[in-house]
Amino acid sequence: MSAVGWPHRRAVTLWRRRTGRGLIYAGLLVVAVVMLYPFWFMAHTSLRSLQQYYLGRGYSLTSWHDLFNALPVARELFNSTLITGGAIGLILVAATSAGYALGTLRYRFSGVVFLVIASAMMVPMQSMIIPEYVNLARLGFINHYYAAILVYAALGTPFATFLLTTYFRRLPEDVIEASLMDGLGYGKIFFRIMLPLAVPAIVTVVVLQFIQIWDDLLVGLLFLQTPQQRPITVGLATIPSQHFLDVPMLMAGSLVSALPAIVVYLVFQRYLIRGLTMGMSK
Amino acid sequence: MTFGSQTLTTARPRPQRARGRLAARRRRAGLLFTIPVVALVGSLLLVPIGQTFYYSFTTWDGFTPAQWVGFAAYRRLFSSPEFVAVLENNAFMLLAIPVAVIVPLSVAFLINTHVRGWQIFRSVFFLPTAVSWVVIAFVARDFFDNKGILQGILNHVGLGFWHPDLLSHERSALIAVMITFVWSMFGTNMIIFLAGMSTIDQEIYDAARVDGAGNLSVMFRITIPLLKRFVQFAVIISLITAFSALFSLIYVMTSGGPGYGTTTLEFFIYEQAFTEQNFGIAATAGVVLFVGVFVISMIQLRFLRSDD
Repeated sequence: MSAVGWPHRRAVTLWRRRTGRGLIYAGLLVVAVVMLYPFWFMAHTSLRSLQQYYLGRGYSLTSWHDLFNALPVARELFNSTLITGGAIGLILVAATSAGYALGTLRYRFSGVVFLVIASAMMVPMQSMIIPEYVNLARLGFINHYYAAILVYAALGTPFATFLLTTYFRRLPEDVIEASLMDGLGYGKIFFRIMLPLAVPAIVTVVVLQFIQIWDDLLVGLLFLQTPQQRPITVGLATIPSQHFLDVPMLMAGSLVSALPAIVVYLVFQRYLIRGLTMGMSK
Repeated sequence: MTFGSQTLTTARPRPQRARGRLAARRRRAGLLFTIPVVALVGSLLLVPIGQTFYYSFTTWDGFTPAQWVGFAAYRRLFSSPEFVAVLENNAFMLLAIPVAVIVPLSVAFLINTHVRGWQIFRSVFFLPTAVSWVVIAFVARDFFDNKGILQGILNHVGLGFWHPDLLSHERSALIAVMITFVWSMFGTNMIIFLAGMSTIDQEIYDAARVDGAGNLSVMFRITIPLLKRFVQFAVIISLITAFSALFSLIYVMTSGGPGYGTTTLEFFIYEQAFTEQNFGIAATAGVVLFVGVFVISMIQLRFLRSDD
């Protein structure tokens, strides 16, 4: 269509396009407010004392101060870090070696093993947690870090194995052939060649599991009941009842607990998204 | 999805004996590298779920030996009014699923127009995925509280005479939990739909435009049908989350109350076991939950496969 011939029509389409875009932005902004409001609420409420919170004006650091008095925050953050790190370590050991065995080496019944491990993804935590609790209690594991670490590792491994096996399966067989020709054994091939190749998938697993384990409550609640061992989520959820209505202090605690996972999310977003959408790929 | 026997093919022919030796070494290495996963998942996941099945037929307090009662355990469970109320709560939560899918689907369309800054919106919308249910529950409790944020907003816009006070009534407390669930499920489902939209070939759109299709008819006739698989996936993920991943939210936000108002199946299991010491009943309910989630997952596998 010639630009000279249709000045009126061009103006109309331009106008339409602009309103269209304006509407899109309006919609997106509304959603953004809904999604961000809780974070703003946490931040600004935590900067008030309980009294200021009821009055609705004034700011102070009282609630942050109260939080550190009510909860051993540093200790609980350390516990969370230790448990999350330990569990991720175990998951990686189990899932990378399984991915190599089931995805690359493949033996006679590896398909069956993969199917069984992958279907373990469907076991809801609440369905197995009771015997799990009784078993570990009988072994005297309750209130030891390794109880929670083991349970988290068992819960996270099936999906990690699924992800790594499908990843390894896509790596070309020639890599193995060439390494065997160079005289490497299957163990060395795993450590020197396959693991470095799998780094993107490994990062995805680490990010997904970090957020999942750091944010969880139930396992810590059951397996780590003493204040010395419990992670930050448990500390927050079981804050002594006299503080239970101290909203500003709870918001300060919530921020502390949420921050590490948010930072991990912001830095590794790409991997998290990939991990989520990989659940769909075949 | 293809599991099962993949034949080992070597690229170039080798002497028969060397090949056999190599294959044996390979098999041994394969088995060796499978040991950690089998040990971990077997002992801490598969054995316990088996035990749950066993204990579901017993009366058990967790300490003294369990007493076998057989299928009477299931009859006992399904005839208790509390359990029926719990199942009703789960059924009621199904109403949240369409909302949890349709809202992010519509917003994914907005983001997929790729207006300037769309990546920032995507990051912001996905942010709650990183936040613990415990934290979300604290804010949600404050939001829906009688003196909370929601009431503040109502007062502000001149609706102060209306006190919904959602958390004080059984059904409305469950609705508050469902709204919170939809809010935090939003990011995950949106990402699923965006991933789906990025798989659609631009040429299809161009062809539709040439044929004179408008925005809405492109959306309903082309994009949504092509997203079918992703919509199914989002529905399944939302269902599984609603039924088996809201424990922390309910624990902090409502503790299952008022009454049994927000006690869903997964919360009922926890309560029966760890506050009532009814480990047997909890195991029976655990089997019901397991079977439910398993059936939902199987449906998903069938969907995915039928599209191949």
